Amino acid sequence: MKLQILVNGRPVPVDAEDVRGVAQVEPGVYSVLLAGRSFEVRAVGSKEGLRLELDGRRFTAEVRDPRDRAQKSAAAVGTGRQNIAAPMPGKVVRVLVRDGDAVEVGQGLVVVEAMKMQNEMKALRGGNVVEVRVRDGDTVSAGDVLVVLG
Amino acid sequence: MFRKVLVANRGEIAVRVVRALRELDITSVAVFSDVDRAAQHVRLADEAEGVESYLNIESILEAAKKHGAEAIHPGYGFLSENARFAAACEAAGIVFIGPSADSIRRLGSKTAARTLAKQMNVPVVPGSEEPATHLEHARELARQIGYPVLLKAAAGGGGKGMRRVDAESELEAAIRDASSEAERAFHSSEVYIEKVIEQPRHIEIQIAGDFYGHLVHLGERECSLQRRHQKIIEECPSPLIAAAHPEMRAEMGEAALRIARAVRYHNLGTVEFLADGDGNFYFLEVNTRLQVEHPVTELVTGLDLVHLQLRIADGEAIPFAQEDVEWRGWAMECRVSAEDPEQHFFPSPGKIVQLREPAGPGIRLDSGVYPGWTVPLDYDPLLAKLITWAPDRMGAIRRMLRALNEYSIVGVETNLAFFREILSDAEFREGRLNTRFIADYFSRREPVAEPGQELELVAALAAAAHSENEKPETRNEKPETSAWLSEGRSGLLR
Repeated sequence: MKLQILVNGRPVPVDAEDVRGVAQVEPGVYSVLLAGRSFEVRAVGSKEGLRLELDGRRFTAEVRDPRDRAQKSAAAVGTGRQNIAAPMPGKVVRVLVRDGDAVEVGQGLVVVEAMKMQNEMKALRGGNVVEVRVRDGDTVSAGDVLVVLG
Repeated sequence: MFRKVLVANRGEIAVRVVRALRELDITSVAVFSDVDRAAQHVRLADEAEGVESYLNIESILEAAKKHGAEAIHPGYGFLSENARFAAACEAAGIVFIGPSADSIRRLGSKTAARTLAKQMNVPVVPGSEEPATHLEHARELARQIGYPVLLKAAAGGGGKGMRRVDAESELEAAIRDASSEAERAFHSSEVYIEKVIEQPRHIEIQIAGDFYGHLVHLGERECSLQRRHQKIIEECPSPLIAAAHPEMRAEMGEAALRIARAVRYHNLGTVEFLADGDGNFYFLEVNTRLQVEHPVTELVTGLDLVHLQLRIADGEAIPFAQEDVEWRGWAMECRVSAEDPEQHFFPSPGKIVQLREPAGPGIRLDSGVYPGWTVPLDYDPLLAKLITWAPDRMGAIRRMLRALNEYSIVGVETNLAFFREILSDAEFREGRLNTRFIADYFSRREPVAEPGQELELVAALAAAAHSENEKPETRNEKPETSAWLSEGRSGLLR
């Protein structure tokens, strides 16, 4: 089974089988072995979702329950409107689309800089840009809607 | 030796002193403010007493009397350079572990210390002898000295009330800002003016003296890496002295001792200098206390400076001569603080949710925190000092990077990742340091590369595992809900 995890606002599919291979070594601390390499991840739940620390970097993550997704995904990802929101507070570096643009799955929409890292917010499915709510240089808070796709 | 000593401080330095006391079989008494009841230094000390504040002389002396402490170690900051406190201790029959109140007074005022340095033939940065009394006076002084000039609070330290002025047109506003900042911080708006030394390095000399007039210097520390005029990385030896000007150590050491002799200095102190790349150095000020960065000197000289302070205060003679002091290898220190380098090093108080501390060869960690501790808003954001030792500078840098890799503090923003960047920087590695290094670094800094797919996948896997653990269903899978247990329970109730 594939799970959909949002890491820094980007969807990262993971295998449920691989998740079982992750070892919790201390409360909130996870040892991950990937292709023979050893990583340690620290996780803290917060209002803006999950905050992770790995290799001296900070990540935000959001885990969608697959059962919720089964109900919601048809509506949210299949058809209807889709809001692309900022995963963490930051600054809009570049808006890559305009109202009315047709976008494909995975196409970059807005580049947001947060914690000195640039994150490209991508379309989770194809569609048309209904509304662009930010401009270059805008400061955004976590959860602010950047682009609405229809 | 003393049987009981009170530590009039908090945080990592209080822990440091408590450790030294235990090593010497001296009972330690911690003091704590309201927010520090559960602080690490209170946990580690033998005895503890609440005080009004770390700045309240009466309250601290009362605690010392109540516990029967024979001496007080002031640490750094707070009352450590307060002549009135040193005198009050003496009047109460309690030994102040530090220099005499008279030495503190004579060296504490920057203008008086400068005058003394000049009398002792120690070079000083060209500047005003007396504080600027009014704007016209300041204009005249600045013209005599020549722009660019630096405004400094006469009673100050830590960069408060300090302003660089490049031209006369900026002087009026700068005087206003510096005076009001100085007034707020030190209750004295006096500022004096001195010449700006371009590309200056901050190099300081550790001195020690006993009651019998025996004074030694323990070499230099270079503390050029500063943010907002506060040191963040220190090392011993100085890369400048080690690589280009080995003669400076003895010259600066001798200059520092001339000042110390003039006031019959006893206990530990530090004489700070500015140095340029050509081996010239200029007296800056004297810190009449233990320095934050003392561990780098300890690792290179093999001496324990807090033990030395205690022995000197107890009336022992310094048990070695100047020629016995040896410097071996290289030590470096990073001041780990709850602050956000991405937000102009703004303090980030909060709860330390998770903590992993580095260990292993060549690592020393002087920390004042523990997991679960809430870093209070009320004090300096310093959490810990990470110090490494290796035979040479590059070894100390590599060790520091290794230790920073192991070090993890979750819950508050810290400068750990920023130190990793600095220690990987080519200019830093070449030892091309000056007090503007950090500010310049920000202007030439490259954005950090995106994490890459591998790290994102690792993060996603951990996030999935974590949310699996945190799920209510899995959390409730406890024996209480087992059908066998409920059956048994209802059996008992029957």
